[in-house]
Amino acid sequence: MAHLVMAAATPHNPLLWRTMRDPVPDDLRGVADKFSLIGATMRELGVDVIVEVGTDHVRQFFSDNCPAFIIGKADSYHGTFENEVRTFGMEYCEVRGHRELADHIAGRTVLTDTIDFAVSHEWRLDHGFIIPLAYTTPAFDIPVVPIHVNATLPPLPRPERYAVLGRHIAESVRSWESDARVALLTSGHMATEIGGPRQFLGAGSPDPEFDREAVSWFRDGDLEAAIAGCTFERVMAAGNVTYQHVNIISALAAMDGRPADLAEATESRYASSPFFLWRNA
Amino acid sequence: MSKYMMNKLMRAIEMSDRSVESYLRDTEAFVDGWLAGGAGPDAVADDRVLTDEERSAFIARDEGELYRLGAHPYLLWHFIEAVWVHQVDWPDLNERYRAAVRPHGYPDYVA
Repeated sequence: MAHLVMAAATPHNPLLWRTMRDPVPDDLRGVADKFSLIGATMRELGVDVIVEVGTDHVRQFFSDNCPAFIIGKADSYHGTFENEVRTFGMEYCEVRGHRELADHIAGRTVLTDTIDFAVSHEWRLDHGFIIPLAYTTPAFDIPVVPIHVNATLPPLPRPERYAVLGRHIAESVRSWESDARVALLTSGHMATEIGGPRQFLGAGSPDPEFDREAVSWFRDGDLEAAIAGCTFERVMAAGNVTYQHVNIISALAAMDGRPADLAEATESRYASSPFFLWRNA
Repeated sequence: MSKYMMNKLMRAIEMSDRSVESYLRDTEAFVDGWLAGGAGPDAVADDRVLTDEERSAFIARDEGELYRLGAHPYLLWHFIEAVWVHQVDWPDLNERYRAAVRPHGYPDYVA
């Protein structure tokens, strides 16, 4: 039986790639420290494989073929795209996959009774997946099972489905005949807007009330409140790309809804950054 | 309105350095070339259509109008950033973009 030893959430703000460099600016030190903490926890707990729940930003998956849930079954993945290299200064990279665990989560011949995953054998991971890995496992030396949840091209999965996803990942790890130690890493936002009238307004959140409430869901271990608080209307009112916050509900559900050991919306020059961590060792 | 097609064109330009350069070199020719470049009536898909309003907004590189017409905000910002960032300082571009879209609130961008 494999062991889900931790769950976590980090931001994936690609603007960090140019700005969070040594010496780390004072306002970004909190962000850098929390990434380091989560990476150190992975190493301390001996993580062998990462299941990463994130959202592709209309790079790999567009409206011509847009899955709600898709899992990667490739042996390896290329990281980032030409436009992300140009816009964010990111670097191309290679990430190893983990076919056996991906098969076990999705169902190898027949889909599971919880999530009807689409599967992909050829997937270029965008910053939503690469940034969390680059800051927690800079050598990309731990294989990854990527799971994309559509949070950008409506219709989107309801928040309840993210809880189902999280429980399903936890149960899949428990039932996997392996001695592997698995981390669930979710990639998300606090209140954030890109492309609307509130984008890049400077330091601080476009919706501090949402951020305060959202942190409390994970700090207090209140899965029902998280689901109730993540209606499409409320989340989008917090900022037009905030729906990626809902990815973090899958981590809370995978940890049986118990309070996080770390729950913080870290402030910086950007919209606040989600950092949540559950140790399950 | 053909929001999907606006998104498709923005994405086709923004994801490729070469397409950004071509669009900037001769914007109208690029847009019309793209519209003519679909796979044709025998193909299952890839028909390319923009309304006159949408075509004009692409030729004018008008972020406010594209936003009003329902372009996807995330794609729109990155498209506009790619197209203008070498001509307008980023803080000024960001300010200009916000001012252009603000009067339109939050249009329905669901394609």
